[in-house]
Order: sequence, then structure tokens, then C-alpha cells
Amino acid sequence: MSDCQHQWAMVHLRFGFMVYERCSHCNSLRTHFSEEDVWDEYREGDCTYMVVENAQTFVFDLACTKCNHVEKYDNLMGLLYCTGCLPDCKVEILRQEYAAKRIFLLVAFGHVPETQTNRISQEKLDILTEHFNQRRDTSRSTVKIVPFNLIDKLSVCRGEFIHDVGMLSLEPPEERKPLL
Amino acid sequence: MTTEEVISKLGLNSLSKFEHREVVGVFVSDMLSDVMAGAKSGNLWVTVQTHKSIIPAANLVDVSAVIITGGKKVPQETIDLATQHDIAILVTELPTFELVGKLYALGVVTQ
Ligand SMILES: [Zn+2]
Ligand SMILES: [Zn+2]
Repeated sequence: MSDCQHQWAMVHLRFGFMVYERCSHCNSLRTHFSEEDVWDEYREGDCTYMVVENAQTFVFDLACTKCNHVEKYDNLMGLLYCTGCLPDCKVEILRQEYAAKRIFLLVAFGHVPETQTNRISQEKLDILTEHFNQRRDTSRSTVKIVPFNLIDKLSVCRGEFIHDVGMLSLEPPEERKPLL
Repeated sequence: MTTEEVISKLGLNSLSKFEHREVVGVFVSDMLSDVMAGAKSGNLWVTVQTHKSIIPAANLVDVSAVIITGGKKVPQETIDLATQHDIAILVTELPTFELVGKLYALGVVTQ
């Protein structure tokens, strides 16, 4: 353990695409980050993965500007904001409770499928929360980042990622498809 | 300078309900990822984006206001979400270049 009062800054920034692929055989979903805008399908055993969405985003790590400690976030797929789609979802209940205390709640997602079993640690999420709070005037409001497993029914969640998807369309946004 | 002064000096229209606050510099981008990576607390965020996802991005990095240029129509769900999070949504008919020139002339420079 270090005594440093870490001051976090984003480092190793890479801009690119969050690629969502679905298998046409078993319907399983996968995500990965790519610096290129890829739409190729590929086979793996019985599975044929096709790209279903390709959202512009970026990846980063955090480094302490005082002690140079680096915290890696290569498993972080994105930050989602709750749209209150399911009134009895734990995230929606928390969101309302926090909103009353001027705390803005976001949900961190790791890549699918690996982080569904091997989740991003609470310590890393706390560091990410600390980073965003260090970047704001916390006398007005604060940020809190929670893990995705608090969402009761991922298959019907209509939360939205803070990703650049469909942002440039001139058409009104469509009803969002379930996430996973 | 405060959001209140910027609004009156540039003749901006406010669409959401919010508390006025201190303005520190300007950040110009139409990408949420740029904003999450680079905007600083108190920045005025100038964009042509109107999708409701601009609100969580603006809130996450604590910008003082979102200024939507070019007279774009802002969806009601974006305005409602902004009010819910105390985020100022300001609009102008001016294109981005002209608005940014005026902000620069006002002395609101990026820090
Ligand atoms: Zn440190
Ligand atoms: Zn399959």
C-alpha cells in the first residue's frame, strides 16, 4: 500500500471503435475494442460472428501524477447511464437514492463475455470514480460508478452507453434495442 | 465570468433549468469521447450534437454549460434530462466558428 494521495490523470488514450458481434448460430454476444472501423464477419468453431454495432469511443488507463502508479482499464467496455427502464431494478433504485444526494450514477461494463465471470474489481471502479470526482467541483455534485451486475435483467435493460453511436444521424433516434 | 453573463452577452437562449455557475474556458467537439477525455470542470462545451447522450457526458466531466450552435432543434428528452441533472443547455443560431470567435473576444479562453 502506498501513502500517496493519488491524483489521477487519463493516460494511454486510444480512440477507436467498440465492436459488438453476435453469432448467427448460437446468438452469443462479444465485444472488443478496435482502432479500425471493422465490419468483417469471422468463424470460430461452429460460431459465425457478425458485427451488429460499431460505436466510436476511446480506451485509457489512469496514472497518478504524483507517484506514477498506473491502473489499467483495458477491460472497460464503457460507461452506461440508467434510463430508469425497469422501476424495480437495483440500479434504478440506487439512481433515485443518489440523485437526491446529487450523486450521478454510472454503470461500468467490462467486455463480454470475459468480464461476466471475471468482473472489473471494485477497487478499480472506486479509482475511476475518484478520477472523475477529482475532475469536478464536488461541492455541486459527485459521480459514483457501480458494477453492471447490479442490473437485474441485462437482457431487457435499455440503459445507454456514453458512446458516439447514431449521434450524427438526422433521423429521430429509434427505440433502443436491449443491450445484450 | 458566469453562465449568466455569457448568456446575456452573446444573446443565447436557455432551454433547460439550471443554477448559474462560473465558466472556465471552452471545449469544442462533436464527439462524446473527446469530451470525456479532455473537457475540464467549468468548460463551456460547444457542439452541434443534440442527442440525449450529451447530458451524461456533460455531467460526467462537469462542464458549466452545453452550447448548441447552428440553430439546431434540441429534442425535448435532451432538455428534460438536462434539467434533471442541473445542466445548462444553451442554443444559438450562430455557427460554431462565429460563436467561438465571440467567446474568444469575450476573453473566455481555454485554460
Ligand atoms: Zn500516487
Ligand atoms: Zn455461436
